[in-house]
Amino acid sequence: MGNEEYYELYGEYVSLKELGVATLISSVAAMVFFFLAPQVASLIGVQTSGLSITLGAIGATIGFVISTFIIKVKRVVSEV
Amino acid sequence: MDPVSLLLVVALSVLSTLLYIFIGILPGTDETATMAPIALTLLLAGMDPMLVLVWFIASIAAFKMADSIPVALAGIPGGVMAVPQVPDALLAKEQGLADTILRKGMASSVVGQFVAIVVSLAFSYYLMPAGDWLRATDVVLGVKVARWFWLVLVGTVVLAVTSRSKFVALISIPAVALVFQGLRAVYGKSVSISFFLGITIGPMIFELLSILHKELRKSYARKGPKEVRLLKVGKISLNPLKILTREELAHSTIWSAVTSVLATVMSPVGLTTLIGDLLRESKRDKVRGAVLAYTVRDAIKNATYIGGTLIPLLVIGVPTGPMAAGPAAPFFNKYEHLGMTARDFIVTHYDYLTITAMVLLSSAIAFLVAYPLLVKYSRAITLAVFRRMPAEALYGLFIAIVLMLSYYDAKIAGIFGTLVISLVSGALWRLGVSLGVMFMTLVAAPMLVSLLMALPV
Repeated sequence: MGNEEYYELYGEYVSLKELGVATLISSVAAMVFFFLAPQVASLIGVQTSGLSITLGAIGATIGFVISTFIIKVKRVVSEV
Repeated sequence: MDPVSLLLVVALSVLSTLLYIFIGILPGTDETATMAPIALTLLLAGMDPMLVLVWFIASIAAFKMADSIPVALAGIPGGVMAVPQVPDALLAKEQGLADTILRKGMASSVVGQFVAIVVSLAFSYYLMPAGDWLRATDVVLGVKVARWFWLVLVGTVVLAVTSRSKFVALISIPAVALVFQGLRAVYGKSVSISFFLGITIGPMIFELLSILHKELRKSYARKGPKEVRLLKVGKISLNPLKILTREELAHSTIWSAVTSVLATVMSPVGLTTLIGDLLRESKRDKVRGAVLAYTVRDAIKNATYIGGTLIPLLVIGVPTGPMAAGPAAPFFNKYEHLGMTARDFIVTHYDYLTITAMVLLSSAIAFLVAYPLLVKYSRAITLAVFRRMPAEALYGLFIAIVLMLSYYDAKIAGIFGTLVISLVSGALWRLGVSLGVMFMTLVAAPMLVSLLMALPV
């Protein structure tokens, strides 16, 4: 670590490449779940429109959890 | 209410509290981007709107208590609403008062929430008859205009003239309204969810796209990693009433009551900044002024969120202020399975007493969970969040949610439409226009554009 170059985005330091990776993971997961909704809806017999958003949000969150494991944190916390 | 529903109310309040403590402490979590999509998801999933309101009220309690914790400990705001507290906290921290402001902030959050609930519910009860009058329409220039439109328009203009760049804010109102209505006309339907998310992530998208520009990129470059200094805290009493001085309690109570009503049409961030700054300047001793301002701002954050949600929801039925048009917007949307807006469902299916009881109950549960948890573990949670949560993962999640909702609203065209709105919002924000002006313009847009087109000149 130490001397790597990051960009300050919204008050946080980010790596553009890793931001791209995280966005891709969350977006793909969200859309896959979103498009699976009609199948799931017919299985459990509920309305599709509501379910697609719900499933998409769950997909995006799963993507978020995966990203937190593969992306390095760019903060060093010192306790004073 | 039957025992099963009551159990659901308790469970939802606890769950929402735990989730939003985490979101509150997390830096960079915008309120609209985190509160609105979850409320929308629950409503679309077919949950009873009353239960979603319970969830929402608990999330306000937890979020607005937790977002100042990283401010007190590290000078980093946990949400947009905590930004005005940063200068107060920096001054207090220099004097070694980090744990003082931490506990005062948490205690005054409780005061703010309950004072605002009582005041907004009482205010709404007496103002309810005015709701019908406000929803009635008059014909102006041959256009049917609802009376609440003027309230929204006045609120938007007030917000514009309190923006950092008054002139740009004022001329942006009709211009941005045309962008919204233009896209709605192309889509062939009245889209709003992806629009307000586009406004919300505008500043981030604008900065992100600026980083892609070779020259502009230089001003964003940083040598990493970012150093965060986290202060130690001593033991904190579990009794919130022991923590505030009489003066702090009095100011927190009075200003919570006043701002909860003002938030019907005014911006919560604006009010938090304004009242806090006034109190800060009122003290000769700078440190005492900073501590008082920090404390009262914490109460105002909860109060404006509660008032800004409940009064438009119960009395007017349309989002008349930035809070209702932003984080609470899903309640004013029409849902096919309900055959009406979530707000209409709540006021037609539940009596006033039940609504009051639910709002009070969810707040009480939220604080019973959040207060002891944060008093004991605020530092440990902050440390864990700062050490384990990469900002990229969070931003990636925001962008994914916005993409999905844009696609849901208008397929691939919706994604590019949201991009247009983000760019406009980001550019205007850069020029000193508060995002609240754009949220309000979104609400006023249909009638504003009709009036604009009907002008004789």
